[in-house]
Amino acid sequence: MVPSLARRARVRWDAARDCHVLLYPEGVLVLTPEAAEVIERIDGARSVEAIVDALAGEHPEAPRDVIDGDVRELLERLAARGFVRWEAP
Amino acid sequence: MGGAVTAAPPMALLAELTYRCPLRCGYCANPTDWRGYGRELDGDAWRRVVREAGALGVLHLHLSGGEPLLRDDLEDIAREGRDAGLYVNVITSGFGATRARVEALAAAGVDHVQVSLQDADGERGDRVAGVRAHDHKLVVARMVRDAGMELSINVVLHRGNLARTGEIIALAASLGAQRLELANTQYHGSALANRADLLPARAQLDAAFAVARAAQRDLAGRMDVIYVVPDWFADAPRPCMDGWGRRFMTVIPDGTALPCPGAHGLPGFAFDNVRDRSLDDIWYRGADFERYRGTAWMAEPCASCERREVDYGGCRCQAFALTGDAAATDPACAKSPHHKLIRDEREGPRGEPAVLYRIDTTRARR
Ligand code: SF4
Ligand code: SF4
Repeated sequence: MVPSLARRARVRWDAARDCHVLLYPEGVLVLTPEAAEVIERIDGARSVEAIVDALAGEHPEAPRDVIDGDVRELLERLAARGFVRWEAP
Repeated sequence: MGGAVTAAPPMALLAELTYRCPLRCGYCANPTDWRGYGRELDGDAWRRVVREAGALGVLHLHLSGGEPLLRDDLEDIAREGRDAGLYVNVITSGFGATRARVEALAAAGVDHVQVSLQDADGERGDRVAGVRAHDHKLVVARMVRDAGMELSINVVLHRGNLARTGEIIALAASLGAQRLELANTQYHGSALANRADLLPARAQLDAAFAVARAAQRDLAGRMDVIYVVPDWFADAPRPCMDGWGRRFMTVIPDGTALPCPGAHGLPGFAFDNVRDRSLDDIWYRGADFERYRGTAWMAEPCASCERREVDYGGCRCQAFALTGDAAATDPACAKSPHHKLIRDEREGPRGEPAVLYRIDTTRARR
């Protein structure tokens, strides 16, 4: 499955607060650096596996299955709020 | 006033581009002497304000009014906001919007459009608005979706439409709205003057609340249903603006910068104007933004109350309008010595509401 960011959600760096934020109608989600790393890799083309591979490559200290679990959990939470959509490749 | 409080940057800027509006809703919270305000800021000034907001740390820009579509530079201001990284929201009655205009807003980078409806029943809605607008609003709402923008439907609830809360929810869902904001009337401006015909009976509110709660469950994941509880019936104040000068900044049509859109009515203030000072300077160093920031300004019963950082003592404008003292505890709070004012009003007799319009007291002011 390929995640893509819904149009209602916009992710950007917030220089005033020194963090990434996800903006949506009438709201702001402050992203942890880890969440931002995942979201930055969502481009509507990469599959979850490809995102996990990329993160595992950059964090050789973390076991791949832990990264995999974290990424899927985050994407599910974002999907439940309509910020991420799933598409078949 | 010293800089005793270190403020965080504001999250949102409400830009009220004009007080002019072709509708005449009796619950309008804009000042009743709206015609007597000074010259509107021009497009260059608004674009500068929006850029300054972005630099200050504002994340959401709300372009509102009055009716913002009456400004033909709305798209330019929106584009500036988008270029500054802001999430751009337009709050409109939809009146006079064409497909070309809606598409121009989308092209300018507007993320989200909030279209107001007066009622689910078009005839009654038009009577409240004072113009034929309802059917066209439905068309405009669909155009917003067609153009790929987020759509909210905003409805102000009062005695004359609370009975149709269920129909309003169904209508918003049928329009493809992702959000529905059901806001019980706040008694400022015209709404305060017209309150005898707007105040609902408690049984009406309880029924509407139950309907909204059920819809929140049933529509979860499809449409967010926001129900703003009426402070006059809750015995607890609203955390007005989430605290004075804490998260929100408002600039009204003449360029005056306010901690809340109702604050221009407060006496003894000399609010700064964005024509004279930068937004940053006003937010961090404006005496009137400092005045009720935090909790140090509070008197009893708020000063020692455990809820003082939950509701920040409620609304300053409501405190002033009802007690004559802007620093008093909001009378909506059961602990306020003036709470009886609200209790008496809300338990008063209820007749069939008259249709009342937005009030214009401009001449009286001069
Ligand atoms: S006393 Fe003041 S702080 Fe306490 S609940 Fe009432 S308004 Fe809020
Ligand atoms: S101070 Fe009063 S009028 Fe102003 S926003 Fe707050 S509640 Fe509203």
